[in-house]
Amino acid sequence: MMLSSIFTKSVRDHWRGMAIAFVAMMAMLLFAMSIYRNLDVNIYQGMPEALKAIMGIPEGANAGSLAVSVFLSGAGAWVLAGLTVAWGSSSIASEESNGTIGLLLGNPRSRTNMLVSKAGSMTLLMLLMIAASWVTTYLIATMLGVSLDSLKVEALSLHLLAIALFHGFLALALSAWTGNRGTAAGITTGVMIVSIFAVGLLPLIEGWENMAKIFPWYYLNAGEPLFNGINWAHIAILAGGSLLSGALGVAGINRRDLKGQNVGVTLLDRMRTYPLTRKIISRLAGSGRVSGIWVKTFSEHQTLLTITGYVMVLTGILIGVIYEFMPIETMKQLLENFPEAEVIFAAIGGGDFSTPAGFFQLEVFGLMAPAALLVVGIAVGGRALSGEESRNTMGLLLANPVPRYRIIIEKSLAMLICTFVTGAATFAGVAAGNLLGGLDVSYANLAAVCLLVTLLGTVFGALALAIDSAIGNGRAAAFGAIGVALASYLASSFLPLSPNLAGLAKWTPYYYYLGSDPINTGLNWVHAAVLAGLALGLIMVSIALFQRRDLRHSG
Amino acid sequence: MNSQAVIHIEGLTKHYGDVKAVVDLNLDISAGEIFGFLGPNGAGKTTTIRALMDEIRPTAGKASILGLDTHEKSVEIRKFIGYLPGDLAMYPGLTGKDTLTFFANLRGGVDWAYINQLAERISADLSKKVGDLSSGNRQKIGLIQAFMNRPRVLIMDEPSSGLDPLIQREFQAMLREVAGQGCSVFLSSHTLSEVQRVADRVGIIRRGILAAVESVAGLRSKAIRRIELDFDTAVEASVLESIPGVRDVTVENHRAVISYDGKMEDMLKVVMERYELLDIRTQEADLEEIFLAYYREEGTGA
Repeated sequence: MMLSSIFTKSVRDHWRGMAIAFVAMMAMLLFAMSIYRNLDVNIYQGMPEALKAIMGIPEGANAGSLAVSVFLSGAGAWVLAGLTVAWGSSSIASEESNGTIGLLLGNPRSRTNMLVSKAGSMTLLMLLMIAASWVTTYLIATMLGVSLDSLKVEALSLHLLAIALFHGFLALALSAWTGNRGTAAGITTGVMIVSIFAVGLLPLIEGWENMAKIFPWYYLNAGEPLFNGINWAHIAILAGGSLLSGALGVAGINRRDLKGQNVGVTLLDRMRTYPLTRKIISRLAGSGRVSGIWVKTFSEHQTLLTITGYVMVLTGILIGVIYEFMPIETMKQLLENFPEAEVIFAAIGGGDFSTPAGFFQLEVFGLMAPAALLVVGIAVGGRALSGEESRNTMGLLLANPVPRYRIIIEKSLAMLICTFVTGAATFAGVAAGNLLGGLDVSYANLAAVCLLVTLLGTVFGALALAIDSAIGNGRAAAFGAIGVALASYLASSFLPLSPNLAGLAKWTPYYYYLGSDPINTGLNWVHAAVLAGLALGLIMVSIALFQRRDLRHSG
Repeated sequence: MNSQAVIHIEGLTKHYGDVKAVVDLNLDISAGEIFGFLGPNGAGKTTTIRALMDEIRPTAGKASILGLDTHEKSVEIRKFIGYLPGDLAMYPGLTGKDTLTFFANLRGGVDWAYINQLAERISADLSKKVGDLSSGNRQKIGLIQAFMNRPRVLIMDEPSSGLDPLIQREFQAMLREVAGQGCSVFLSSHTLSEVQRVADRVGIIRRGILAAVESVAGLRSKAIRRIELDFDTAVEASVLESIPGVRDVTVENHRAVISYDGKMEDMLKVVMERYELLDIRTQEADLEEIFLAYYREEGTGA
């Protein structure tokens, strides 16, 4: 049976990622439930409908429903969809880039059979994962004495499964069609991000409410499955989309040549052979990029930087322009009547919705910008050494008269440039949004926040580098840094809600990012110096650690 | 101990947890010498080479190259070294030329005329992306990379893997040329015929232990030969077995097949006193047989 052997292999390949995602999700839920348990949630009951809708606070909110809806249908849904996107996009394409697809299809099985087995494995894995989350949600609630009686967690779980599989199948189809993992993951993630934003913001704009229905993410929560039960029509739409993607994937994999273990032709390569552009492109893609270790490392991350830069510029502009359409006056009144709501905003990224600066903080700087900077910092820092080691190129690199500390310094330099480019793109986006939207946020303050978020990304990149220097394992480095980042984010968002624990937030790097309210007060030099010092310290530690250990060698 | 040794390895030991990858290895390689490091998969060849390159640090013992400690002075040493790792991997997105430029820049520049000359000799295509090359063609880029800085010491792990016989021959000629100019070569291989053709001395490593170091000529003279003898009458096995150095005697009518390790003259004298010898055929043992013999002996002994 192809399905059972592919399923077994999928479990083997993905169990670590699954386990980490599961633990992270459940930890967030545990954390949220225990915080919400101690809050006076009655303030939500008195809130007007509009405010509750904006904040995603359900009818009849209590500690359980708030935690489940904010963390399972919010962050949990992103995590789950992110996982299926990773599985779907790598399913076919990574067999091709590893050169194992020939071996797999050397068995008497058709391509269709292989694709269906991959899709089946993905579905089964996600089903297991969601079932486990469902059970664990009840366990956590029981443990904390939070009631989930009126909630239909199983209905939300089915919707989560449907939305995760929708994106997984889309990625699978793109992977089958193009054989390129980056393209598949990139496009699907793009669809997901645009869709999340559109579904969050479009309903707030008068006359545009129905536009949200064209975005898949709408069908996750529009029917409020947590309270109203399963919305079969919505499930059918998502499942139909998944099946359509699956069918397109089958068509895609059967029509094209399978790729060997090669590297493909990029746009730059094509332009390099074209006489008119050859000269300028060889300067860009040619000998220039191999002039040294940091230049080469930087050039290897061009795709990542292009995508994150593009997303950040677009987000900034979009948020700036859309502000005009927000119901600001209503918001202001609401906040005057319900000052407690500010506390809740602080918990979901901070920022006072009713001012342009607060809107930027909530929509750009709360989650998106740190996420983008962390992704870039950790992607470059966490693979700085293990990338070379797992490809077995480190031996060759170090056969040259280059000391090990220089490798760390040059790789750190590349990481620093990458985070600063992303930070600059973020600034370009919000500055353009500020200008186009006619919002009078101080450019100096915007630059200050961008500098701080850049430094934050550098700190976590340096942390990933330090872990990598110690053990030479990129996956552990990335997960370690993400884990610390997540814990630090949650701690700095939620600890201030409790007066007794507020002081502890100062021990997290996040505190030095938004703790001084830089978007309203400008750059806090001390906080910037703390972050820069932390990054520098971690780089020094990396040098010491890498100097000591054996290089890893695979194969 | 040889103070003139270009590569000097002293008591080198590397453990990975309980696994003893290399145990108390002592070796000296002199200037202009080509040393072949032979052993089956997993014997400790690559571990030794990686320790020489300071990629890994020995559990015990030390090594020096050109009189410089391989750990303390590793950066200094690498100025004079050409290195080709086993299972060669390079940056798949770079062309051959980009790859060589990258490494040349790390060395502060090399002689491009020499690179082009090398590329021509082993017909390497420098314009294609490394990831698009077959493993043999990728290996050629690795070879050029190792030779391009005119090293004083060449360290190569399975250098001819993937190369076709014509290129292998050219590569061996290149090795002999640089050795003739004083370059020391340390190459690991399980392609015995290659070592036989180029090496001056061979070391045989097995389960982390250096079992023997011999000159190729010495190994060959020690070789056990298979000899077929035809007589005009039936012969008795016992007569042949009584000759010192003769083993594995099989007699079939007028024909005898023996293994003999000694001077041909001594054996023939005894045989011709008793019988009339009609014909004699002898096979020269190659390293392959010696090598297998070593392993069989060690294998049964262990």
